Amino acid sequence: MTKLSPYLAFARKSFLGRSAYRFDHFMGILSTVLRIFIFWEIYRALYGGRAEVDGITITMVATNFILSLGLESVFYVNDYYLPSRIQNGSIATELLLPVNIHGRMLADNLGHALFQLLFHFVPAVAFSVLFIRIAAPAELSMAFLFLLSAFLGYGVLWTVSFVAQMLSFWLINVWSVMTIKNVFVNVLSGSMIPLWFMPDWMRGVIRFTPFSSIYFTPVQIYLGQLSLTEILCGFGVQVFWILALFLAGMLLWKKGQKKLVVQGG
Amino acid sequence: MIFFEHVSKFILSDVNIHIPQGAAVGLIGPSGCGKTTFLKLACGLLRPTAGCVHTMRFIPEKNRRKIGSMAGAFFADIPFFQGEETVENSFRDIRAIYRMGEEIFDREYAALAERLGFGSFAKEPVKQLSLGQRRRAELGAVLLTRPRLLLLDEAAEGLDQTAKDSLREILLKRQAEGTTLVISSHNMEEIAALCDRIILLDHGNLRYYGDRELLLKRFAPMEEMEISFSGKLPDPEDLPIAHYALRQNKLQLTFNSNYVTSAELLGQILAQTTVTAVTTRKSGLAEAIRESQSGQKN
Repeated sequence: MTKLSPYLAFARKSFLGRSAYRFDHFMGILSTVLRIFIFWEIYRALYGGRAEVDGITITMVATNFILSLGLESVFYVNDYYLPSRIQNGSIATELLLPVNIHGRMLADNLGHALFQLLFHFVPAVAFSVLFIRIAAPAELSMAFLFLLSAFLGYGVLWTVSFVAQMLSFWLINVWSVMTIKNVFVNVLSGSMIPLWFMPDWMRGVIRFTPFSSIYFTPVQIYLGQLSLTEILCGFGVQVFWILALFLAGMLLWKKGQKKLVVQGG
Repeated sequence: MIFFEHVSKFILSDVNIHIPQGAAVGLIGPSGCGKTTFLKLACGLLRPTAGCVHTMRFIPEKNRRKIGSMAGAFFADIPFFQGEETVENSFRDIRAIYRMGEEIFDREYAALAERLGFGSFAKEPVKQLSLGQRRRAELGAVLLTRPRLLLLDEAAEGLDQTAKDSLREILLKRQAEGTTLVISSHNMEEIAALCDRIILLDHGNLRYYGDRELLLKRFAPMEEMEISFSGKLPDPEDLPIAHYALRQNKLQLTFNSNYVTSAELLGQILAQTTVTAVTTRKSGLAEAIRESQSGQKN
């Protein structure tokens, strides 16, 4: 690796950097597994021995939260990548480096995510399915489309954070913005409470937010709940959100940069 | 290499300057006179409110990354590294960004680590370093890629004397190799040692831009000469000097070097008496600056 592309180098560094925090990492896996088992016990109690509620079997519910929580561990985004640099002023240094800062940020996140996929998702999900029965992918093709959709879901989550991070040009502290964003992601994405159980009006509202595209679309594809047209539509919505949020983020970035060069910080 | 045409920004007003390639320019003036603003305009971190800036034939504000690939900039008020990163990892990032080959990187890194002395704490996170230590590493990172243009804002601030000397040596060598230098500093000794041109700013106005020696002639032309003699008392009354003092067998002359040279004066004294020793003292840059500013007030 004499003259690696800088982005590959950043991804590699962040991938390898994760292995330095062993204890942290094992606690992370433990936390995911614990959450899966707590959810499992809660839903078992709620189901009270019934095979299904509203046509949703407990196996489907378990599949939803195991896959969602698993993906949540993979979908790593450093919400404070830009805010910390804007706050301490080193954004100016980065602006002068001959590298795209957003590309650098993405590469850093992707390296981390790949590590999580291999060493967090795989062990945590494999361990959980030893004890909790989950549905097999509806078809092999659905498993493939699930992966594709999950990848796009990460794109949606990433661009949501991208937009939120840009606000740090105008806010002294973006912590509250990030907290609100994360609550929205947790509740509206269906990872905790599957969107099947939401009241109809709420599902109607959530349909018009990017959040259901993150975890719920891939899980529905996995379970074979969507027809081919619906799947294509789901992909379309995911791509739409990625593009729309990315453009919104870039617009804010341009404005923020202008603020830097006009007002000097 | 750098053009400023009628540039105004914050305190800077209507600055016109051309810095040619290979020049070593010292940016001086009192605090708040616009030195940092000047350097930030030159690399595109600020946009002028009026006029236009060209750096390496680019409009810096629109070509920051392109300029960044050829120029190195250091600002005392902008952190260069992320605190949680180690020095070594930060250097590896720079290496990746500039796609430096392993061999070149290792050679440059080893040389700079030795000269600036940051090798001993390279494995520590940047946030644990003292100001002087961090500065040394930061300057090393700026110099690592051998930029053709160096913009340094108060770079030596916080460095100890050894590090200051090393930095001066490195910059002199880089300059000899053709690097263009623009350095702002309050340390006139440092500027005098490195720079052949001076930009003198005063409340955002360009007071002087040009040769360092000419600045001295213009603002601090007075020189002193002390002549020890034996024998006959010389008569300085007719000499074209500003002032003289006679003490025992020492004659002290103060004169304006724009009108008469020390050699001419000495020649005249030699004609009158036997001289045993001569010392001369020229005004330094610091005096020139002081002079230029007191002149402004009057």
